[in-house]
Amino acid sequence: MEYIALGTGMLVILAGLWAIMTRKNLIRIIIGFSLFDTGIHLVLVAISYVKGGTAPILDSTVCIQDAAQRIVDPVPQALVLTAIVIGLGVTALMLAFAMKMHKEKGTLDIRSFKDLKW
Amino acid sequence: MISPIHIITIGLGVAFALGFVNKKAKNFSATIMLVAIGLMGAISVAWLTALLQGAETVQIFTAGFKPPYSINLMMGIHEAFLTTLINVAGLLGGLYLLQSLKNAGNHAIMVFLVFIMGLNVIIMTRDAFNLFVFMEVVSIATAGLIILTETGKSIQAGFKYMLATGIIAGILLLGIIFAYYFSGTLNIDSLAEANITTLKGGSVAVLMILVSIILELKPFPANGWALDVYEASNPGISAMLSAASATALYFVLFKVLAIANENWYHILTVAGMLTFIGSNLLGIKQNKARRLLGYSSVGQMGLLMAILGLKPILGDKLEFIAATILVSHYLAKAGLFWLAGIVENDNIKNWSALRRKPILLVLFGTFLFVLIGFPPFPSFYGKWELIMQLSSNQHYYVLALILLGSFLEGIYLFRWLGYAIKMDFETLPELNINWNKIIPPVLFGVLVYVAGYFTSALVPELSALNYIPLLFIAGIYFIDSLPAYIKNTVAIIGMSIYGYQILPPLYENDMLRFIFAAIFIGGGILTLTAGYAYKGKRSGFYPVALLMYAGLAYIIQATNTLEFFFGWELMTAGSYFLIIRGKKSMPHGLSYMLFSIAGAYAILAGFGLSFAGTGTYNLSSLAGISSNITIIFSLLAIGFMTKTASLGLHIWLPGAHAEAESDVSPMVSAILLKAGVFGLLLLIINMGHNTETAQIGYILGWLGALTALVGNLAAAFQEDAKRLLAYSSIAQLGYILFALAMMSHLGLLTAMYYSINHFLYKAILFLTIGAVVMRVGTHMMYKMGGLIKNMPLAFIAVLIGIIALSGVPPLSGFGGKWLLYNAILAKGWYLQGAMVLFSGIIAFLYLFKLIYSVFLGQMKDNLRHVKDISIWFAIPVYILIIGIMIISAKPEWVLQPLGDMISQWYPNAALAWNGGLATGPYGYWNGNGIMITVGIMFVSLATWLWMMSRKAVQVKQFNIVYSAEAPQRPETTHISYNIYAGYNKALGWIVAPKITAFWDTMTEWIHSLAQYVRQLYSGNGQLYAIYVLAYIVVVYFTMIF
Amino acid sequence: MDFELKRLGFTLLGLLIVLNWGLLMGAAMRKIGARVGKRYGIPWFQPWINLVKNYAIRTSLSHGIMFYLGPVFRLSGGIGLFLFMPMIIGSQLWLNYSFQGDLVLIMYFQFFGMLGMALGAGEGGHPYSAIGISRGLSQFTTIELPLTLAIISIAIQYDTLSIIEIVQAQQGGFMNWTVFTNPVATIAAMLSLLGVLSHSPFNLVIAPNENPIGPPTEYHGSFLGVLQTNRAILHVVEAALFMNLFFGGATNWFEFFAKTFLIYFWSVFVGVVFPRFRIEQSVSWFLKVPLVIGVLAVILYM
Repeated sequence: MEYIALGTGMLVILAGLWAIMTRKNLIRIIIGFSLFDTGIHLVLVAISYVKGGTAPILDSTVCIQDAAQRIVDPVPQALVLTAIVIGLGVTALMLAFAMKMHKEKGTLDIRSFKDLKW
Repeated sequence: MISPIHIITIGLGVAFALGFVNKKAKNFSATIMLVAIGLMGAISVAWLTALLQGAETVQIFTAGFKPPYSINLMMGIHEAFLTTLINVAGLLGGLYLLQSLKNAGNHAIMVFLVFIMGLNVIIMTRDAFNLFVFMEVVSIATAGLIILTETGKSIQAGFKYMLATGIIAGILLLGIIFAYYFSGTLNIDSLAEANITTLKGGSVAVLMILVSIILELKPFPANGWALDVYEASNPGISAMLSAASATALYFVLFKVLAIANENWYHILTVAGMLTFIGSNLLGIKQNKARRLLGYSSVGQMGLLMAILGLKPILGDKLEFIAATILVSHYLAKAGLFWLAGIVENDNIKNWSALRRKPILLVLFGTFLFVLIGFPPFPSFYGKWELIMQLSSNQHYYVLALILLGSFLEGIYLFRWLGYAIKMDFETLPELNINWNKIIPPVLFGVLVYVAGYFTSALVPELSALNYIPLLFIAGIYFIDSLPAYIKNTVAIIGMSIYGYQILPPLYENDMLRFIFAAIFIGGGILTLTAGYAYKGKRSGFYPVALLMYAGLAYIIQATNTLEFFFGWELMTAGSYFLIIRGKKSMPHGLSYMLFSIAGAYAILAGFGLSFAGTGTYNLSSLAGISSNITIIFSLLAIGFMTKTASLGLHIWLPGAHAEAESDVSPMVSAILLKAGVFGLLLLIINMGHNTETAQIGYILGWLGALTALVGNLAAAFQEDAKRLLAYSSIAQLGYILFALAMMSHLGLLTAMYYSINHFLYKAILFLTIGAVVMRVGTHMMYKMGGLIKNMPLAFIAVLIGIIALSGVPPLSGFGGKWLLYNAILAKGWYLQGAMVLFSGIIAFLYLFKLIYSVFLGQMKDNLRHVKDISIWFAIPVYILIIGIMIISAKPEWVLQPLGDMISQWYPNAALAWNGGLATGPYGYWNGNGIMITVGIMFVSLATWLWMMSRKAVQVKQFNIVYSAEAPQRPETTHISYNIYAGYNKALGWIVAPKITAFWDTMTEWIHSLAQYVRQLYSGNGQLYAIYVLAYIVVVYFTMIF
Repeated sequence: MDFELKRLGFTLLGLLIVLNWGLLMGAAMRKIGARVGKRYGIPWFQPWINLVKNYAIRTSLSHGIMFYLGPVFRLSGGIGLFLFMPMIIGSQLWLNYSFQGDLVLIMYFQFFGMLGMALGAGEGGHPYSAIGISRGLSQFTTIELPLTLAIISIAIQYDTLSIIEIVQAQQGGFMNWTVFTNPVATIAAMLSLLGVLSHSPFNLVIAPNENPIGPPTEYHGSFLGVLQTNRAILHVVEAALFMNLFFGGATNWFEFFAKTFLIYFWSVFVGVVFPRFRIEQSVSWFLKVPLVIGVLAVILYM
């Protein structure tokens, strides 16, 4: 199961990178970027998965003594939450940039934004 | 002591609180932001002071848990120092950006605060994930600042930036999570202990973490996005990125490197050097100021990365080297970007606008010299130490590459400086200067000097350095607004006092140094005397002239290689500014500087190798070198020969000397060139006793002879009087090189005697011709003529000068020829000797042309009423003539002590003295007797002819025998232009400008290469993202193999 | 002190002898030249007539102070060379003031007169003077090169630069003369001598058959007299230099007259046979055959 998640995550990362590298439309690139992010999040979660583990919440079903064996690692889950938030911020900001760029040139083709070079 | 965590709480808290402030109260918000950054800085400074006084490093554990269960921060000496840097930059940068931030609104103010706070956390945190989060925070804040303070193309740049840093951050995150997977911890220190590189997957985790941090430091060629940001964003933001962000990220690499194995040191070195060379190469082709600064910034970070990669060999010197270079880059780059915001013109040719406010030009020059690593700035000491360590660990390739990269950097920085100093600025718009934009660069400018002073205090080899001359120069700078004659007097008094202090002890102990010191200081006072002829303020002249003389004095007094190099670089800087003052001197100043830097690097490498061999900086230890003698000797000799302008390295000289101001030409010709001679002399007396150096000496002998021949021949074909004298200097220095290269008693004696003589007569000629040029307003000899009637004083001076130079008895030049004959015969260098003597005869051609074209022949109509040369030029000239007369009549006064001195190293006292009669191994010569004989004969004949012709009628100008025609126009009657046409037809091929063509071709190639390589940066953000990924792949494969 | 006065007296006497010998020799050479050209030529006393006439001319023009100093320099150059040149070996009194300097002094004192003359003529303001000087200087630089090499060669051979010692080393039979012991250097030097004495083919500098050209163009009267005086002295002294260096010197005045005449005749002999060179031709010529021979002379002793 965790390998499926891990594998899927990797595939999604690659798909995202493929989009970033080949698509010419800014929005598509940003979508590719979101895919890339999502894939990383999947990998994060997959890595921390413990077979048969439950949610890392200490309640009546999980007592402190055997928590380490029974729950999935909570740290990556915390990390993934943070990463999602950051990813959201980055994506939003990128979209804002894309909007301003469209306003400037009336196009979303990344090839037409080559004023700065050399 | 306030806990460092409050740096974060203040930053975050105030940033959040600002959200509640009324949107219109922008002044209030901005003030609060600055206060907050100030408080954050105060905490850093408090910790820095405490830690410097011996307090313990503290770890702060958040949420009451120890790692790995919590995020922890650290406040040690590194962190305190770096957060101080960040917060100072933040405070001043915030001040600088005040208008832009206020225009952008409260959001921008908040973002700026978060940005600074994020950088602080990046430095302090010891937790990998926390590091990632705050790197992202900083990255988003940066993009936010770019979009909020948008300027023109900054949006495009910002998008490329987001794309690249987004990918980098993703990889970093993956790496962190894998590292966590293998080690079970996120704490950097625990990760390091876990040693995960030994695991199969662990090394991939380390790879992803390290490569993404390397990518954040913008390695060549995966750095197009960074260059665009530097170029396009608000210069205030670029300043922050270059100074603050880069500093913080560099520290991240520093601390994360603990988790890596030693393979990574190689990768860092290679990546760093590639970046340093690559971006400096591309900078050469760049003419947009901010992008150029970007290239320079990226290059400097590359150098720093390489330094980190060299950690295994630098050992405990690493921190000193990295800190000095980092601080220099931090101060200089922030300052330069801030200046870029003041100039508001992105074409480097238009930076002459800085001259509207001279303080800005001074700052600009200061920052550029900081980047190149000149004394007295911190980077100088860092680079010195780096080279020394590299060479004692036999890392010669890295050493050579670092020097190459620095040289490439020098090319574009000094070209830029040249534009700023020389290009026309009248047509450019007024600068729009706000107080808040001027304070930050000024403060950083002051700081860089302070930092330099404190760094030098850390270097024990410089403890004996006398700072009074430098303080005196600073003092002169502060009275720059006074009239020239006051500053001239102050300068002369200062130099006299200094001379009074250093000359007598040298006379007692060290004749060699005494003679050079006398030339430098005595010559300095004499040439400064001519400065009274200038009216007005002569802004900027005195500090740089005195800087050159101070450098020369330091060279004389140096006892170790570091002091010597310190003086050498100061002298180079001073003379560069002197040379570039000439009206058309921009290209000549540049080529002078480039040859000087290259020469200085050769010297640096030579000193490095000698340090590697002997383990000491002591100058006299050069004598004890037993390995690498050939290379050390060659490197040092080449370095010194850039100053003596030997053939191949001479192309800077004619223009530099000819276009310089009238009183500067003698300074840089008669005096400055002797610095190279002094260096060569030091080299030969210390290292000349080896068989290896004798072989090099043989080559140098031929080189000297060729220099003499080509120099004199080229001088004969000049039409520009000062250019003629400049080529003559090249040739004269060729004689000196030839004589030195003999490495014999007579050879050294000849060289010393020639040096003294060349100083005397070249100062006379350059001062006089310079003064004539001031009167007639042209350098071109064919535009003058017949000036003997108006300028008898000048004519007599030039007459004495050329007789002395030509070697015609009875004046002092003859002694040089006589010594040369004896030295040649004693050494057995007959053929090269004949070549030198032949070139000595060619000298008659240009000497005649000089005096005839200017003073004799037909007077031009427009010059009928010119006055004789200024009295202030005549005074030093006639003092020097007295000197020539004394040496001519009493050569034993000079040659006997010189002979005694040289006997220390070359003991066969070759000359026997009997009163004025010198007997050498081959012949004899009585300077005194010849003077009397010739004098009596000349006077009696002159009297006799005067008796016979005293009734001669003085005729008018055109009253000449002219085959039935009446010559009317002096222009057609004064034969001067191309006077040696026949000679040119026969021998002109020798002086065809092949060497200039060679250097031109080199320049062309470098530019073409840069043009070719920089097409990597096509401007397409997607391509840049591909580069980033490709970089990772390449590093990955490098790691595998 | 007595000896010093005596030396001065003998030196002045020697100067007088040399002057008259130079004038006589000049006349003889012109006569020879004329006869070769199927002309009658001048009477043998013509040079004295010229001198007396020129010194006696009353009208005199001057272009300025340097114009007047030019001939002074020129004559000082000639007399100075005489003073520093040992004339007759074997008598302390005919060695003149050669104890003050050696061969190097002679080599460089040649320029004293040349430079001064160039400047004097320069102030004359005549374009032909300047052209003459530029040609003269150009040619002289290359003339000196083979001579320098020859001198280096004999300095190595005799291990000295002192003319007296060089002459002394050649005593004891003509086979000891440099011309036989070091023929290569002698050839190089004798080729240079053609230029030093500036006869055809190397006389473009003063080019006597064309318009007035060359440094003396503007000189007349007593100025010209001084120059002619110098020319007479200079030719003898130059010949004496070559005599001392290559032909065993002279132990008495008869030997002196004979040897200087023959040496001087060599240049006249070549002069009447060969036509005049242009300046770039003579410059190139001296840098070909004589230079190679000179280098050879040095290499043989290396």
